[in-house]
Amino acid sequence: MNENNSIAYTQSNDTQSENILNTSVYSSENTVNEQNIQTQNNLVKSEENVLNIPINLQKNLVQDESLQSDNTQQDSVYIQNTYAVNTPLLQLNDLCKRYPGMGNYMSVFHMNLTILRGRIIGLLGPNGCGKTTLIKMINGLLAPTCGTVLINGMEPCPATKKVISYLPERTYLDNGMKVSQMVEYFADFYEDFSTEKAYSMLGVLGISSDARLKTLSKGTKEKVQLILVMSRQADLYILDEPIAGVDPAARDYILRTIITNYNPGSTIILSTHLISDIENILDDVIFMKNGSLMLYTSVDSIRSQMGKSVDTYFREVYAC
Amino acid sequence: MLGKLLKYEWKGLRFPFLIMLIVLAGTTALTCGVIFTINPKFDETIVGYSVMALMLSILLYYFGIIGCSLGTMLIVVIRFYKTCYTDQGYLTHTLPVSTKQLLNTKIFAAVIANLMMVLAIGFSILIIIQMGLHHAFSFMPEFTYDEFYTMCVEGFSYAFRDFEEELGISFGLYITYLIAYFIIGLIANIVTVFGCVSLGQLFTKHRIVGAIAAYFIVQFILQILGYFTAIPMYSRMLKGTYMEDATVFGVMSPTMNLTLLTVVIVAIIMYFINLHMMTKKLNLE
Repeated sequence: MNENNSIAYTQSNDTQSENILNTSVYSSENTVNEQNIQTQNNLVKSEENVLNIPINLQKNLVQDESLQSDNTQQDSVYIQNTYAVNTPLLQLNDLCKRYPGMGNYMSVFHMNLTILRGRIIGLLGPNGCGKTTLIKMINGLLAPTCGTVLINGMEPCPATKKVISYLPERTYLDNGMKVSQMVEYFADFYEDFSTEKAYSMLGVLGISSDARLKTLSKGTKEKVQLILVMSRQADLYILDEPIAGVDPAARDYILRTIITNYNPGSTIILSTHLISDIENILDDVIFMKNGSLMLYTSVDSIRSQMGKSVDTYFREVYAC
Repeated sequence: MLGKLLKYEWKGLRFPFLIMLIVLAGTTALTCGVIFTINPKFDETIVGYSVMALMLSILLYYFGIIGCSLGTMLIVVIRFYKTCYTDQGYLTHTLPVSTKQLLNTKIFAAVIANLMMVLAIGFSILIIIQMGLHHAFSFMPEFTYDEFYTMCVEGFSYAFRDFEEELGISFGLYITYLIAYFIIGLIANIVTVFGCVSLGQLFTKHRIVGAIAAYFIVQFILQILGYFTAIPMYSRMLKGTYMEDATVFGVMSPTMNLTLLTVVIVAIIMYFINLHMMTKKLNLE
């Protein structure tokens, strides 16, 4: 790692394995937590390359700016100006998930994170780093082993599901239904769903609303899912691999759809491996590794201070 | 929201349910067809065929209604599994409804589908009886339907009177008891089967096999409990040999009630297992 780099990584402790990294991008709090987590990481995983950074709560930036480095102060001011008056949209407090049959390994490891409104955030990391597990916990599809997930201050419940629009990586639509029936289904269950917007997007992509889902290709089904998800006026959009299964030509349209259809007061969390395709639309990125939060910073910070694109930076950080 | 859930639950069930109704209608028509080939005059040349046709029609219909009943149960269980624990679960469990609402809706829709199938089977039995009588009367021109009806009414009135004397409960009350028993048992059975499907999710690599194994284990437990619930019946049967006023219902009812009670208790446990699995242990692939 670049030791001169003011944003990110400095080796923290001689006793820790070589690549255990600290970061203080959005905050410098949680020193105690950091120690705990690193100790536990060593105990639990005891592997090299454990990148383990408890990060920040932006409210702490606002509360205690004196703790920030110069660069972080810039970030905190930037955040403070925009969001200080907002309550957190999403908060993860010491969140862990251990699957049965996986011994002591935690798919998500003591994660602390606060996400405010109005951001497009890339959730990035290699396969098996815990992105989907984290997303499932936010959506109430998995119960945490410990810690809490708070959406608008509430744990996952019907009220939080009203404000989250979730696109899983799987095709979750009923194959026996027509596209128009799925639109009706969403309109029935989600008050914030716009039927006009859905039909308009279906029209642009040339998807017949009379077609049965079982007659559509996998890629077209994914487009239909994305249209349904983006036709809502939700507070939080969580898109798990939204462009992985579609052709490159459609990716541009999908990304445009994402940008143009989300409410500016909403936040989008976008999980993907195709970083180069999406980095232009991202405000912030979250890097995860081995279930831990490694980095949460703005894309601008990476570009201006590292002089690299997010894609290049990602490749460096996760180089095998 | 409950109404909307029910609407889509029914929409999902109605097509396979319709297929089951068509199978039942086909079985009924086929059975009627076989009945019409029976010659009640029993002349020597076709007597063997008539008896065989009668047996065939009974067997055909028996397997038909068993198939339709099991088929309906299978339909609701498969839908429960598909919508809750396969990829569709991602949609089901992110709807802005509580897990309790989801589960209650699925149980309610399953109970309604099964009750409708029972009514359909009852209706088909009436059709077969009617067709059988019509066919029988065609060979007895001197005997009218009205005469038969009068005979039936007289016969049943004697039977009802004897029924109360024998069983210790009036016919109407007994039928009401049986209907209530059946409905409570049906609800309990559906909840238990759903619970077994949920328990199968604990076996992440073999979810369906796990669900089937859980069903057999629960049935085994119910069988064991059944031996205990039968004790009052046997003891009353023994006592009954020395008591003149013992009635069949008086001997049977405590065991029937206890059996129902155990089934209901197991169903209540399974209901909470369902809720637990759908909230705390949910782990979609």
